[in-house]
Amino acid sequence: MLADRLTGLFIIVLGALAAWGGSRLPPVPGQQIGPEVFPMVVGAGLVLCGMLIVAGVGHRLEEEAEADLARITSEFEADIGRPMEERSPWRRLLVLVPPLLLVFYYLAVDRLGFLPTTSLMVLCAALALDGRWRLAVPMALVAPLFVNLVFLKLLRVPLPSGLLPLPWIGLP
Amino acid sequence: MMATLLEAFRMVLQTDVLLAIVLASIYGLVVGSLPGLSATMATALLVPVTFYLSPIAAVATIISASAMAIFSGDIPGALLRIPGTPASAAYTDEAYAMTRKGQPEMALGICVWFSALGGIAGTISLMVLAPPLAEMALRFSTFEYFWLALLGLMCATLVARSSPIKAIASMLIGLLVSCIGIENPAGTPRFTFGLTDLLGGIEPIPALVGVFAVSEVMRAMLTAEPPKLPHRRFGSILAGQIALTKKYVAPQVRGNIVGIIIGVLPGAGADMAAWVSYSMAKRFSKEPEKFGTGHPEGLIEAGASNNASLASGWVPSLLFGIPGDTITAIAIGVLYMKGLNPGPTLFTERASSMYALYIIFIIANIIMIPLGILMIRIAATVLRAPRAAVMPVIIILCAVGAFATGNNLFAVLTVAAFGAIGYVMERYGYPVAAMVLGIVMGTMVEQNFVTSLIKSDGSLWPFFNRPVAAVLAGMTIAALMWPLAAWALSSARRSGRAARA
Repeated sequence: MLADRLTGLFIIVLGALAAWGGSRLPPVPGQQIGPEVFPMVVGAGLVLCGMLIVAGVGHRLEEEAEADLARITSEFEADIGRPMEERSPWRRLLVLVPPLLLVFYYLAVDRLGFLPTTSLMVLCAALALDGRWRLAVPMALVAPLFVNLVFLKLLRVPLPSGLLPLPWIGLP
Repeated sequence: MMATLLEAFRMVLQTDVLLAIVLASIYGLVVGSLPGLSATMATALLVPVTFYLSPIAAVATIISASAMAIFSGDIPGALLRIPGTPASAAYTDEAYAMTRKGQPEMALGICVWFSALGGIAGTISLMVLAPPLAEMALRFSTFEYFWLALLGLMCATLVARSSPIKAIASMLIGLLVSCIGIENPAGTPRFTFGLTDLLGGIEPIPALVGVFAVSEVMRAMLTAEPPKLPHRRFGSILAGQIALTKKYVAPQVRGNIVGIIIGVLPGAGADMAAWVSYSMAKRFSKEPEKFGTGHPEGLIEAGASNNASLASGWVPSLLFGIPGDTITAIAIGVLYMKGLNPGPTLFTERASSMYALYIIFIIANIIMIPLGILMIRIAATVLRAPRAAVMPVIIILCAVGAFATGNNLFAVLTVAAFGAIGYVMERYGYPVAAMVLGIVMGTMVEQNFVTSLIKSDGSLWPFFNRPVAAVLAGMTIAALMWPLAAWALSSARRSGRAARA
């Protein structure tokens, strides 16, 4: 319920900002309806929804749906879907690994090239998923090469070669 | 007619199209069978690939991969009690109970056989429904399109298995995202915060990849690895399926019809079809007490239903550009990219392409049977692939795929951002599918809304005084009122019960 209050509050603020931002857009000369109308309508809707969520309307329906799903997966709850939160609070930060790796790709791919960048990404992701080095290192070497070849040969999309051009296997 | 049909066959019987069907089918079977990787995600990751194919081959990959993935999600469901895709969740229990009774062949046989039959029924509905609706749609003006788009968005929130208020909020967030950029009635930069990268707006495809793929990898970071599948030898998989087809005619027909209806409804897809059909099977069954103990009836009805919905979901997508579910939301993006812009004229001007699409659907559902059986036999080996090997590859596919669709590195950041947004929303009970539909349809809703308002000079009356528009408006308002009514009804019942107690 606390989570609902917080997310609901966030939605109210988001809606208010959208409506305010929309209202400041310059109108089209000689016309009543311009680019400002739609964001204002959407923003007002968001504010209304946020208020209902903070008030806890509809929470019960959600619990029913969750109970349905829990009934189905109950036996295997010990194996899948159960957060491993009890292990250590630090481990929960691992959830940030995938988006951060993508940001790393954005920053590095033009300088380092596709193969080195994605090798590092695969290595990090595999280790973060409790993969052993014995699995992670070969994956990091083979997977980027394979993806690069598929994109280059089958789809004819050149990817940045950067530091590691491999002309002998056809990579520029 | 005959000439168009021949032309359609000629279009499908090209090497690249046939190759695309087979490769996409294998891809769909493998990805769908891995727990945590949904059919939508499988389709989203394919989009960059379709970018470089001919239009028919591109559509063929989407159709085959999604149909196979919906079926193969049943495999880990039946063998491990872990649904491979959300569309299998409704009957995972039943299928697993059959496996425990020593009939895994029977359970998986039902899944593959009735999935294929359901898919073909859905295709027939697409063939029958689309042309007359196209005729009608030719006369639609912006008022009708506005209501239709809004109705689609409302349906998406109605069927979410969550609080309807949160679903509406997610949908509005999606609409807000679609406001970003200069693609609005005045061409003014809106919510771009001075960033040139945002001028073009948020592309739906990177957002989709982020929401459906990256957030899934994020979830995997915090959950334990699913158990391994024991190797086992299967007996004949199709044995007894003909007998079951004859015995359970009514559940099967009902499953197909419900699936078709749910598929046609904009916004509601395979997951919902399976849930509704499974509970209908139980309600109408002569032996409801057997449900949950490994009884084929519910499995037949729901398995047919989710595949039927997949094909009929293309009806609103092709006619109006309003996605029937998240998979067709992706398909619409591909159609635009390939110059097959959705709309009623598609059926008059590009009739051969439409016939080709039907043929691909039928081929995909027929080859589902042999390929599906093969997949069942090798499932134990495929499902042994450790997550630490699969998930990293998905991350690099997200990156390179997002980049390849627009040759724009900014798309990679969009993927990352929407991965995080999708993860947080899902965690707190906000259905991401509703947001995705908001993003995909936002521009269309706004355009029709604003154009209509300009035409009517700011008055709301013309929104209601055309007959079709009035009906659509009534349906939309009813959809909006439905959660309120349901809520009031159930709380009245509860307080009544409390008063009696």
